[in-house]
Amino acid sequence: MQKKNSRVWIAWVLVLPVLLIRGFTTVYPIFQTLKTSFYNIRILGGVNEFAGINNYIEVFKDPKVATSIEFTIIFVVVSMVFHVILGIALALILNMRFKGKRFLRTIVLIPWAMPTVVIGMAAKWAFNNDYGLINDFIRWFLPEFQMNWLIHTNSARTAVILMDLWKDLPFFAILILSGLQFISEDIYEAAKVDGAGAVRTFFAITLPLILRNVVTICIPFTMWRMTSFDLVYSMTSGGPGEDTALIAYRITTEAFTNLNIGYASTLAIVLFAVMAVFSAVNLKVVQKLEY
Amino acid sequence: MKIKHKTLISILQWGITAVVAFIILFPLYWIFISSITPAGELFKTPIDYFPDHPSLESYQYLIENAGLLVKAGNTIFIVGMTLIISTAICVMAAYGFSRFKSKALGAAFAFILLSMLIPDVVTARPLYEFMRKVKLYDTYPGLIILYISGVIPFTVIILRNFVGDIPVSLEEAARVDGATFIQSLVYITIPLLKPAIATVCIINFITCLNNFFTPLFYSNGIQVLSTAITQLPLRDNMYAVPWDLVSAMGWIILFPIIIFVAVFERQIMDGIMAGGVKA
Repeated sequence: MQKKNSRVWIAWVLVLPVLLIRGFTTVYPIFQTLKTSFYNIRILGGVNEFAGINNYIEVFKDPKVATSIEFTIIFVVVSMVFHVILGIALALILNMRFKGKRFLRTIVLIPWAMPTVVIGMAAKWAFNNDYGLINDFIRWFLPEFQMNWLIHTNSARTAVILMDLWKDLPFFAILILSGLQFISEDIYEAAKVDGAGAVRTFFAITLPLILRNVVTICIPFTMWRMTSFDLVYSMTSGGPGEDTALIAYRITTEAFTNLNIGYASTLAIVLFAVMAVFSAVNLKVVQKLEY
Repeated sequence: MKIKHKTLISILQWGITAVVAFIILFPLYWIFISSITPAGELFKTPIDYFPDHPSLESYQYLIENAGLLVKAGNTIFIVGMTLIISTAICVMAAYGFSRFKSKALGAAFAFILLSMLIPDVVTARPLYEFMRKVKLYDTYPGLIILYISGVIPFTVIILRNFVGDIPVSLEEAARVDGATFIQSLVYITIPLLKPAIATVCIINFITCLNNFFTPLFYSNGIQVLSTAITQLPLRDNMYAVPWDLVSAMGWIILFPIIIFVAVFERQIMDGIMAGGVKA
């Protein structure tokens, strides 16, 4: 039952504050970003001129951006693969009925509730060769182990991905869990009666039933990784060199440190376009998975 | 045979629980012992997991020299105001979106949803200049508006679903008995929404505490805990990270969060599953 249309103005009064705030903080700035992406604005050089699509051409020639894109792709893909595999595994454990369930669920919420900066700052120290937690732990088993994680490209990238997993994997698992809980016990009972083992049950019943849920959850998780900023800012500052400078970090560096604003806007628009295409494609995939 | 199988599963369950607990809790324990180890004793290999001379020196230093209490006060004020205002305007909006229908309203709701796709980094620089122009940069109202903006989409979506579950007939009955529109909202709808509001506030509380991007780029003088940890003074060690202070600061942020999560585990789980949120 809906109210008469003549009273719809009441609704507009009610939703107005929310619309105004979101409008000013998202729509207005994104149009500004689009506009400045066609300008060459360098505050430090006192430059402010129309540049056409020059910035866009520059994006494809800039070796720093190439490094950023390379690592962003590695970061997103590797992190998401482990999110899906380990996340489903953890969700299955969280879904088991045993006495430690509540304890386990509480623990798993802690990384989600922690600020990423705190994790990044701690990680900077944890991956230190001499005094860090990680090497100390490895030395319990390999007493001679030496590794300065954050000063070599591959190990620094690995460390960043590991911390990302530590922080967000439990949260991913909780979301998968919400899908698992809708699967009725009867189906599992039936499978058992038919003589299906645990592995077979998982691949024949559980996985197909949660597949759509998993793909849906992967969309925001992938987008958050594409725009991940806090972790790299606090943990590596993009180093060594530019090797862990995720694209979001690159953009803020151009915009707030180098004050190369036109170019930063161009990078931001390219990132936004990629994300828009990505989410459109994914929505199509999710709709296809409808059953 | 059957009992053996059960015991095996039980051992496996507890084994996995222990491993997960170790991976998550051990680093937190390490941050804690680092925070109570005097700075001079931190540089040790292997790490001393039971400090010989535990002290609260680092905490004292943070309070006396790093303005810890002011920053904690700022955080509480900003997060508190954000929760109060965002809940009020989001309840209003959720009611509007749920109880009234028109094409334009539908489009407005779709806009709220789609605006989630716009990442912070894309809007950061123009928004920074806009905030300076309207004199909201580095002010409490400016920060609070931006914090509110961050929690709006999630809050509106969740609350709209809950309003949808409340039968309209309850409000109509109140109206028949002579209640005004405002009265029916305040005395009928909002009390029924209390559990949903509580869930949303608990999750938004965490989201706001963890907000780092907003205070980093839209304020300078006003510092909150999440940005303060990246700007601690170097005390007397030569390393780039003043780990003694960082660990103490980290623990000050983590301790309340751990307690909070332990107390509200149920509600947080419900909230996360109801909407799928991002911290």
